[in-house]
Amino acid sequence: MKVVVLAVVFVSVISVSFTADLQCTHKKVDVPEEWLSMVDPCVKKMQDQIQEEMRAAIQYMAMGAHFSRDVINRPGFAKFFFDAASEERQHSIKLISYLLMRGNLTENVSTLLQKRIEPATEVWDSGISALRDALRLEAKVTNKIRDVIKVCEDPQLAENNFNDYHLVDYLTGEFLEEQYKGQRELAGYISTLDKMVGEHGILGEFLFDKQLLG
Amino acid sequence: MKPLFLFIFGVIAVVTAQQNEYCYKSVVQACSHTTSKLSSDTLPECDAKYGAINEVVGDLQAFATTHISRSFEYLLMSTHYANYQKNRPGFEKLFRDLSDEKWAESIEIIKHIAKRGGRMNFRRWKTDERKQKQENYELYELESVAKALDMEKALALEAHTIHDAVSRRLEKAHDPEISSYIEEEFVHKLASNVRKLSGYASDIYSFLKTKDSSLALYLFDNYLQKSL
Repeated sequence: MKVVVLAVVFVSVISVSFTADLQCTHKKVDVPEEWLSMVDPCVKKMQDQIQEEMRAAIQYMAMGAHFSRDVINRPGFAKFFFDAASEERQHSIKLISYLLMRGNLTENVSTLLQKRIEPATEVWDSGISALRDALRLEAKVTNKIRDVIKVCEDPQLAENNFNDYHLVDYLTGEFLEEQYKGQRELAGYISTLDKMVGEHGILGEFLFDKQLLG
Repeated sequence: MKPLFLFIFGVIAVVTAQQNEYCYKSVVQACSHTTSKLSSDTLPECDAKYGAINEVVGDLQAFATTHISRSFEYLLMSTHYANYQKNRPGFEKLFRDLSDEKWAESIEIIKHIAKRGGRMNFRRWKTDERKQKQENYELYELESVAKALDMEKALALEAHTIHDAVSRRLEKAHDPEISSYIEEEFVHKLASNVRKLSGYASDIYSFLKTKDSSLALYLFDNYLQKSL
């Protein structure tokens, strides 16, 4: 019995000496909140868009993986899609940075991204079918950004009639600009490739792939 | 005796050569006018597979998806340190760099699977990865470094498992190309990451025992900003 009591005392002393002096957490900071102007419906839309951009990134990664295969052998397409994947990830990070700049994301960060995101499609019939899917994907992302803008510039949705001019300007000037340029590039690629494969079939796709390699 | 020996040697050489000509044979068959139409879109037996890729392709796919998952987790940890209340740009950079590294590696693993004739499967996850629920990534300094250290060690052990499988642990599975790739791309880098994070944990632990750990953490964050 004595031994057990001694052991318990010993373990408690050890655990106390291990934790008692360790100051892992710090005081809650006192920062005025008057500068925090973003409203909930708009923040929620932005957070959804972060996940949306990351979904697009994974879809592009699956396209890159498909065209890297030995039996597909289109390194130009693979490079184009892997680059697009990393670009979409950067978009997601830019949206996160914007919310942080405006004083958001002080809580509920852990649910901002799903841990497991899987692509909807992993196989394509041809280069042109993947490019068409890519253009559809970009159009979907563009519409989602427009939805974010609509919510963030609508004063009626906010308690204090807040129109988020700066965010709307940022999304319009940076994001939509990039979306429209990207869509035009893809539409041009599809158009050229469609003509090439129309006349020359698989040889057209082969030549276009090497062009994408740069 | 000598001619017989030469004959046997010759027969063995011919048989071995024929055994290695699967692709050539399928081409000959495909080009033969007497053969009926090819049923396959691709040339049979002419893929890039050899060695032990089939034995470890599933593990490599799971290794890639684990990297994607880690890149998200590190991004969330970095985001937490970038909010105005935490305001630790050094920790933000530490975890952002790790997120970038995992993202880039996931693409490299996918490329390597393809290089060896395999195919990526984005629905292949490690069993415990699939079971895990969404975790908390809003952590204190020491907690976050501890979590990162555990994550890097787990990745290193996953790399060891693949290395082990292609080093004849599995019957007839020997693939020096894959083991060398795992060593060069992952084993050394992960060992450095583990050592770095373990050192950070040790430093932060001793800081947290001091009276003004808040100042110590501020200085350590400054150090991270400059050193990374």
